[in-house]
Amino acid sequence: MYKFFKKKLPIICFIFIPIFFLWHPNWLGFLGFQPYWPLFWLLPWSMINGSFHGLILGLFLGLILDSVTTDNFTQIPGLILCGVLFGRIKLHSNFFVGHFRYGLICCFGSFLCGSLYFLQILFKNFSESTYLLFIPSIQNILAEVFLTGFFAPFICSKLVMIFKFSRRKIKL
Amino acid sequence: MFDIRRISTSRWWHKKKSWAIFGIFLFLVLVRISKGSIYKDFYFFISKPFWPGQFQKEIILESIAQESLTKLNLLTKDNIRLREILSLQESSKNYNISAAVISRKTGGWWRQLILNKGSKDGVEIGSTVIGPGGLLGRVKNTSLFTSTVTLITSPESKLGVWVDRIQISGLLVGLGDENPNLILYSKNADIKVGDLVSSSPASTLLPPNIPIGIVQSVDKPFQARKTAKISLLAKPQVIDWVQILKVNI
Repeated sequence: MYKFFKKKLPIICFIFIPIFFLWHPNWLGFLGFQPYWPLFWLLPWSMINGSFHGLILGLFLGLILDSVTTDNFTQIPGLILCGVLFGRIKLHSNFFVGHFRYGLICCFGSFLCGSLYFLQILFKNFSESTYLLFIPSIQNILAEVFLTGFFAPFICSKLVMIFKFSRRKIKL
Repeated sequence: MFDIRRISTSRWWHKKKSWAIFGIFLFLVLVRISKGSIYKDFYFFISKPFWPGQFQKEIILESIAQESLTKLNLLTKDNIRLREILSLQESSKNYNISAAVISRKTGGWWRQLILNKGSKDGVEIGSTVIGPGGLLGRVKNTSLFTSTVTLITSPESKLGVWVDRIQISGLLVGLGDENPNLILYSKNADIKVGDLVSSSPASTLLPPNIPIGIVQSVDKPFQARKTAKISLLAKPQVIDWVQILKVNI
């Protein structure tokens, strides 16, 4: 049982992403904004397992998160891109540099996902010429980028440890 | 020559792992098609111990008083107007379903509520959801135990509304922030800060005269239309209990 749970730790963490996404804990946010939760899981997963696994799990994450939101816009392209890009980045041995990098990479990923989502909204409203009204909602992207970058060093470093631990063989 | 057997068994379709991944992919596509019903019902059960109990009494009472007053004013005016016209049918009987908010996303792009009443309790897609203060949104989809509400602040939301003082209809567009925009397709509309915006009596999506918000600021006219920022009366970020109106329009 222990062996099973140890091996499946990344998948167990994966199941909790939509829960966090729906839970939307206010005490972990700022002025009602929340970090972009899926990136905290996707970054360590892709860094350890590579671009291809990042792409697949980015797609899976996107499918699940799209299904729990009511909007007709999709998060899949952003998460797939992030999965591929994160897979090309290697872990850093230095403690401080490594943590700082998690923050920066997640900031970039969040910006990418937010921008792609925003572009979909603009594109949908382009024909109705109401798209200019949506420009101020860029604040959503900026707030998300800040919060994701702020929490990433704490959460990603722990998840990297958990994922590495789950890959280790048990000595009997 | 002898390698043929080895090569043929190493094709991807001979690997169990590939089929497992394909299976997961199919399952997730099914989840996506069902709009996450399984996931939401799962969330319903695990979030049950954390559902809101007592709500902040002051906020509720104040909002209810404000809502009742504005609603009464609107209904009286509407009644007089309709009596003059003498051509409107009696408003249909509607009943309300009380529901607790079990998930709330009120910041960022996704602005939605998940309620603890679903198709089992008679909630239907398109039902209007109100809270203390006024309109919150409409039910976008339902699962067996939950229903998901698109808030009027969501970029998905577009509703026909009514500005009572100047007797003009407009379009309320959610922008993904706290204050939706009201678009009036008339350059000369005399809209002012403080005007009350309610659901349109001519709307086919919402019951008439539900208070929505108050005009917070008016922008300069642009391309034969006027836009205004609306401050909502109902605060989705603090509301724990809502009413689902089941109306036969």
